[in-house]
Amino acid sequence: MAGTIDPDAGISAAGEPITEAEALQRLRQSEDQSQQYYAAWWLGRNRSRHPEALPLLLATLRQRRPRDPGAGVEENAIARNAARALGKLGDAGAIPELLAALDDEDDGLREAAARSLGELQATEAVAVLLRRLASGPAGAGAPRLDSPRLQEPCEAMLEALGAIGIAEPGVITLIEPFTAHDRPLIRSAACRALLQLSGEARWAEPLMQLLDHPQLQVRRAALMDLGAVGWRPALEPICHTLAENSLKLIALRGLVEQGAHHDATIQAGAVLSAMDSLL
Amino acid sequence: MRSVEIDPIGERIEAVRQAASAQTLLAATAVLATSDHGNGVNNEAIACLVEVLGFNNPGAAVAAVDGLIALGPEAVEPILESLDPRNYGARAWAVRALAGIGDVRGLDLLEEALASDIGPSVRRAAARGLGQLRLAGLPREQRHPIAARCLEALLAGCGDGEWVVRYAVVVGLEALAPELQPEQPGAPPRGLAQLRSALERLSTDPAEDASVVNLRAALALQRLAPLSAAEGAHG
Repeated sequence: MAGTIDPDAGISAAGEPITEAEALQRLRQSEDQSQQYYAAWWLGRNRSRHPEALPLLLATLRQRRPRDPGAGVEENAIARNAARALGKLGDAGAIPELLAALDDEDDGLREAAARSLGELQATEAVAVLLRRLASGPAGAGAPRLDSPRLQEPCEAMLEALGAIGIAEPGVITLIEPFTAHDRPLIRSAACRALLQLSGEARWAEPLMQLLDHPQLQVRRAALMDLGAVGWRPALEPICHTLAENSLKLIALRGLVEQGAHHDATIQAGAVLSAMDSLL
Repeated sequence: MRSVEIDPIGERIEAVRQAASAQTLLAATAVLATSDHGNGVNNEAIACLVEVLGFNNPGAAVAAVDGLIALGPEAVEPILESLDPRNYGARAWAVRALAGIGDVRGLDLLEEALASDIGPSVRRAAARGLGQLRLAGLPREQRHPIAARCLEALLAGCGDGEWVVRYAVVVGLEALAPELQPEQPGAPPRGLAQLRSALERLSTDPAEDASVVNLRAALALQRLAPLSAAEGAHG
């Protein structure tokens, strides 16, 4: 679901408007980490094309340190923000460092790196993602003892495999068991990836059922996933989902922009008029 | 012996006021919001729905907004009077309600919301609202200045940082266009050309990262082609 519910995101969104030059300057210094944190977010948000943006963000990504659970400050928050921004710059030069971050011990950083590699459609990442997920729902997908998270950030990794788009049998077979995971968000991510890779309607059915899930968080994820695939047959179910119009609009934007290759029977015009009525 | 008069609206207002949980508040608000008010609009019902906007319960607020929109112009003054600068949430819902009602008394608030509200969903609602103010009943000399203010606000909104707001601006511009037609052939242009060129920019802007905005602007231009041609010929 493309990181829409990101606990770190709100902090930066509250910042003051700044210029690109100022963002670069804030990233260059290292005394005030909250400034670095905001600057990294800013450069990604604005998809900076400045030649210094890539090297500075890579340096920020390298700034990570071994995690110290006793320390009050989460040092890696800045590295994670840099990883997220690198996905948005669209520069393949970020791929080697992001690949290395996929093996970092901080699962939050692995998550950010996986999403960015997906955004960059980095085919190089497929082998590492398959390796990290190889133990399946009972291994990579098992809950951790120390937190509500799973052993691997499965949702981000599955979504990355779908976004990268290598539809080889090995990839499909690895993803399939995750469609039976205990957690609906993981099932949703797995179905999304399989639908993207195979275009087979059987993977859309479970996603459309999740639009009726009792938990709002799950309904939101299914909306984002159907939107990311651009599955136009989901137009009506999306419109009737109990969730914020903002999220339905994002999903429908996906149906317009990504959907032409899935089902020509529902035209973009029908999606646009549904969007108009949700404003 | 007279039978006891039952006042269903009164009971429903009471149910909203007594609601002890988020779920019961949502349910009671939805019932009140969809009530048939019969011959007269119940001011207490309006006041109650307006109050719900400030409760920080999004589900109930959505239901209350729908109810207020259905009540229409009668609800405008109570909404405007209730505006509290310290309650951002309530204000955002009020913008949505006023955008839906389309009464010109909401114009100031809609302009301000599109220009400077921090919430994209509020700016989105304001943009839609600025395109659909109900001007038909107003005296002629008032209609055009109001439409011109709506146009100006929407043109400024074309540069909004959020795609969904730009999308709503396109929809707003399309809806506003008929108001900007010259009154008769040969009359001075009233901004239709400006509106059209804004849509043209949005339909082709290479910097637009949401192609859905390009597409929607192109659709608006296509639908407005007859109007635009008329002004082009005479203005």
